[in-house]
Amino acid sequence: MIAGRRLEIATTRATEFIDVTQSLQAEAERAGLCNGRLFVQTLHTTFGLLVNENEPLLLADFEALLERVAPNGGVYLHDDFSQRADVPDDEPANGHAHCRQIFLSPSLTLLVEDGRLLLGRWQSVFAVELDGPRQRSLALQFDGEFGGARERPPSGARDLVELELARQLAVDPEAVQVPMRRLVEAGGKRLRPLLVTLGGRLGSRPDPLRTSTLAAAVELIHAATLVHDDYVDDSATRRGKPTVAAHEGPRRAIAVGDYYFAKATRVIAELGDGAVTSTIAEAMEAICRAQMDDVALRGAYPGDHGSYLQVVRGKTAALMAAACVSGAQLAGAEPAIVERLRRYGDLLGIAFQMADDVVDYSEASGKPAGQDIRQRTLSLPLIYAHEDHEVGPQIRDLLRHDPDDTAVRQVAELVKASGALERVGDEARGLARAAVHELEGVDLNGTGATFVELAHSAVDRIS
Amino acid sequence: MTPAGIRERDLESLDSIWSGGLGAAWEAYRDHHADGRVTLAAALVETGVSLQGLGVHTAPAGELLIGDLCLARASRLLADAGDRELQVAFARAVETVSAQAAAGQSVSPIRDLLRRALGR
Repeated sequence: MIAGRRLEIATTRATEFIDVTQSLQAEAERAGLCNGRLFVQTLHTTFGLLVNENEPLLLADFEALLERVAPNGGVYLHDDFSQRADVPDDEPANGHAHCRQIFLSPSLTLLVEDGRLLLGRWQSVFAVELDGPRQRSLALQFDGEFGGARERPPSGARDLVELELARQLAVDPEAVQVPMRRLVEAGGKRLRPLLVTLGGRLGSRPDPLRTSTLAAAVELIHAATLVHDDYVDDSATRRGKPTVAAHEGPRRAIAVGDYYFAKATRVIAELGDGAVTSTIAEAMEAICRAQMDDVALRGAYPGDHGSYLQVVRGKTAALMAAACVSGAQLAGAEPAIVERLRRYGDLLGIAFQMADDVVDYSEASGKPAGQDIRQRTLSLPLIYAHEDHEVGPQIRDLLRHDPDDTAVRQVAELVKASGALERVGDEARGLARAAVHELEGVDLNGTGATFVELAHSAVDRIS
Repeated sequence: MTPAGIRERDLESLDSIWSGGLGAAWEAYRDHHADGRVTLAAALVETGVSLQGLGVHTAPAGELLIGDLCLARASRLLADAGDRELQVAFARAVETVSAQAAAGQSVSPIRDLLRRALGR
């Protein structure tokens, strides 16, 4: 269930039919509601709801009907202020509007299927102003199956994180700020800040401002690792734009990464929570160790399942787990909850990386085709295909020397043909389910649906 | 062999650089603070910055990664030691030299910055 959304409407006439169908559709999409129900409720007594055809003459008929049923200027006891107690100074004479509203609905339930409002060909949803013009609100709630990571409540917290990121970058020297801003503003899923934010709601002393500071710092650590990784991997593009190393040169890229590692460390230390500082410091160490292991294991490319897990736990899962944990620690969550979050973040991180490995074999990956193969990056589909009795020998043969473009394409095709992508996809989905299982029975203060959604959206990319 | 006052785990994956500069850096700080974790952290920051060639040269990938581990290990040691002011001061030292390096300016001697932080 997602609650707390409001659709704000400024009406312009005394009686007005406002078609809100597209606005409600957009809200359902923003919430990521795939199949379920959208509840709409007016928060006013002279503002109603209606489902009917959006045809101007028909709307004029409705308006005339309402006028006949409860004429404006008619006699209404409600408008006789001398008979009423405690009448506010600004009370309008609007008995007609109240009477008209009993012919409309104060609330509606709209079905959503496959992400679309389920409406007949001629059906539109109207909010009906009966005593305008005024500022009006519709309350929205969503219930059902959510897909994708589009819903990231609380949206206020997300905005705070973005503001904090922008604020942090704005005060930095230009030489480091400009390249980092380019990377941060190029997008990214902001998964780690979201995990911090969610964790930050699970303690006895939630503090959105301090949580957003921590969340922004964690994102900067992630971005700094990307800057150095891209230099190490000799990557030319990230998020569709040149990497810092490619754009600014490796010397500046190294300095930019160092600057933001240090800055994030300082910002977190300044929060003054020793447990949070230790959690993040340990995660940073795990990331660095794993990065060294990753490079070392390229000598034994493509590696095995054990070495893959070892690297992924450090490179990807450590910071996700630390994001969950540190947010909760900052909010003073119980140690038992913190430990469950740590396991959730660890499993989510591994599932996320496995899904990434599978997506790398699709056209939609956004990376140059076969980049992982060229860079000898550990990849579970390749490990499984390499171990396959049928295609394994061919892959080993193709990888014996630095593969050219043709060999890279052949390896990719063999991986696809081996069934390895499906196997890794199943494994990732199993880990996502296990991550969700870790949180069962935990009081998640209304964040449960988002934790579940995140776990599923981490692997939904596969399909 | 791990010197007295330094835990083996604090040099894990970094023993190879002890004789290559980390040990000498540690000697330069050991009289500046009573807590061995703090002096090792200072040595790790200095060595990390040096390995990464900030303001001097472009570090090869391998040295960049060892440098990253040095800086991360230093951060963890300072967190273990629980001295928030030192954490902030050391981070500011790295921010200073990395910003200078990024701007193509001459880089302040990191040892001076760290010793100043230790002697605050």
